[in-house]
Amino acid sequence: MKTYFKLAWRNLWRNKRRSLITIASIFFGVFFAIFLSSIQKGSFENILENMVKFYSGYIQIQGEKYKDNKSLNQSFEDNDLLRGKVASETNVTHFASRIESFALSAFKDQTYAAVVLGIEPAQENQISEISKWISQGTYFTKSNEVNGVLIGSQLAENLGIGVNDTLVLIGQGYHGQTAAGKFPVLGLLKFPLPDLNKQMIYMSLESARNFYSMPDRSTSMVLMVDNVDKIDKTIDHLEQAIDKNLKVYSWKEIQPELENFIQGKLAGGKIMKGILFMVIGFGIWGTIIMLMAERKRELGIIIALGVRKIRVMRIIVLESFLIGFIGVVIGSITSLPLVSYLYLHPVHVSGSIKETYESMGFEPVLKFSIHPDNFISPAITVFILFTAITLYAVWYIARLKTASALRA
Amino acid sequence: MKVIEIKDLVKIYNSSEVQVKAVNGINLDFEEGEFAAVVGPSGSGKTTFLNMVGGLDRPTSGEVIVGGTNIWELKSRKLIDFRLRNIGFVFQAYNLIPVLTARENVEFIMHLQGRDKHERNQRVNELLTAVGLGERMESRPSKLSGGQQQRVAVARALASKPKFILADEPTANLDSKSTENLLDMMEKLNKEENITFIFSTHDARVVKKARRVITLDDGKVTSDEKK
Repeated sequence: MKTYFKLAWRNLWRNKRRSLITIASIFFGVFFAIFLSSIQKGSFENILENMVKFYSGYIQIQGEKYKDNKSLNQSFEDNDLLRGKVASETNVTHFASRIESFALSAFKDQTYAAVVLGIEPAQENQISEISKWISQGTYFTKSNEVNGVLIGSQLAENLGIGVNDTLVLIGQGYHGQTAAGKFPVLGLLKFPLPDLNKQMIYMSLESARNFYSMPDRSTSMVLMVDNVDKIDKTIDHLEQAIDKNLKVYSWKEIQPELENFIQGKLAGGKIMKGILFMVIGFGIWGTIIMLMAERKRELGIIIALGVRKIRVMRIIVLESFLIGFIGVVIGSITSLPLVSYLYLHPVHVSGSIKETYESMGFEPVLKFSIHPDNFISPAITVFILFTAITLYAVWYIARLKTASALRA
Repeated sequence: MKVIEIKDLVKIYNSSEVQVKAVNGINLDFEEGEFAAVVGPSGSGKTTFLNMVGGLDRPTSGEVIVGGTNIWELKSRKLIDFRLRNIGFVFQAYNLIPVLTARENVEFIMHLQGRDKHERNQRVNELLTAVGLGERMESRPSKLSGGQQQRVAVARALASKPKFILADEPTANLDSKSTENLLDMMEKLNKEENITFIFSTHDARVVKKARRVITLDDGKVTSDEKK
């Protein structure tokens, strides 16, 4: 093996310029593929984190039929046993229950339809950080959370209501009961998403339960996790542990459009990387074709001397592998510090990009991912590429006629 | 003792329109220790003949028997191994592995034969010294003259301790001085170590040194003279 390695290694440097150009093309391919994967994955993680934090959580527990029929009648009993099971799940970092429904909001002679969200103020704030969107007034505190509400700034403007004014809500409660109540406005919320500003009213879970006449019940429980790669496993555990009448969903089931958006973008990225590697692949293939043609006589001599074709193939495959290996290693090593730096120091965007991000409710930063997949996947791609290309070399050697090779 | 027996050897090349009989029914025997030249004009079938004797080009019909084995009855892999252990080759110019030094080129064959390092080192030193390149062992082919390269090729051919050495126009690209040196060296090895050499050549200087001259024309033996 040492002799074959020596031969392959020295052959590699016979035509330094050509080998260096080939290695450089692989290096650039790997470098850009890693960079692209990192920024893409980082961006999607950022979008996902924002969406998940703000809306669905990574995991949601709901009543059996709530997903298809979002009625308070499909709520579930939110008891200590359930909370104990959720809390004991090691991958779950935070969880909070919600009641989500609708009501007519009124102030003086103005009436608007609104989405009412009953939340656990402290727990919810750890998940969706609602308090950071307060534009006037204050977030819930222990003393004010029993009766007060937070209201979207546009809805407040439409109603002509301000902080410390009293909002009237009328709606339909659990099993058709009338829901009506007066709530002092604790604060106004200005979200980046205009739709939310037009329709959201937040109250404490306790207030919502009273308002909708559904003590100890919730429409959903939102869970955040430590390791997103273990979501499926966590769901399996929870399904085993909790009441069989409850359903456990991942964010992908709650927000399928987000999952489709991410998968679509990832597929686009894969196509781009595929084109990149295809261009590189043809370049390498050209090199291998030249290399084989140039060395036809030499290969003939080696076989004539008594080297089996399988061994000659091994030398050529090893030589190609070395080119690929060097390119991949240099590409990976040089991209690692850059990607790591950008991971630790995300790029803050400005101008119209910043506005676009903010209008979608996302933090205006370009985040990078340092997931091992970003590095492993280009390496595997290059390996597959080289395997395919070296098959040409193997085929060439297999059909090489020694006598005619000696005449080359 | 017969080293090679050649019986009714025929090689026909089929192109789309014509059949070319490159070798047309050759019968020859070679004894141990012969120093033979196969001569003839271009296209007479010298290289094709040597390639078939060396197991490099399959004959259309006929037999090549080396040490009792009809080499063309061997499977491809066995034939390669047979060549490795029984036949030494010296081709025209540029027949060394360019990325290996003179020492490594000679050692390569013995490495393939599975000889141990000590034996390899000893024999490489002996052979390269015998061909007058004891001082150039660590040089790569590109640093050696054409004559020196051919000497390394002879040393490499001898390294496997073959039954015979086939040399296809070994002096074709050499100047007079180098040709003379190479021939003297091969003649010395032939006489001292009783190694059988078979050359194909156009070169009158090689013919002059040969003790047997076989002339081919249109793929047939037209004369076979022993001096």
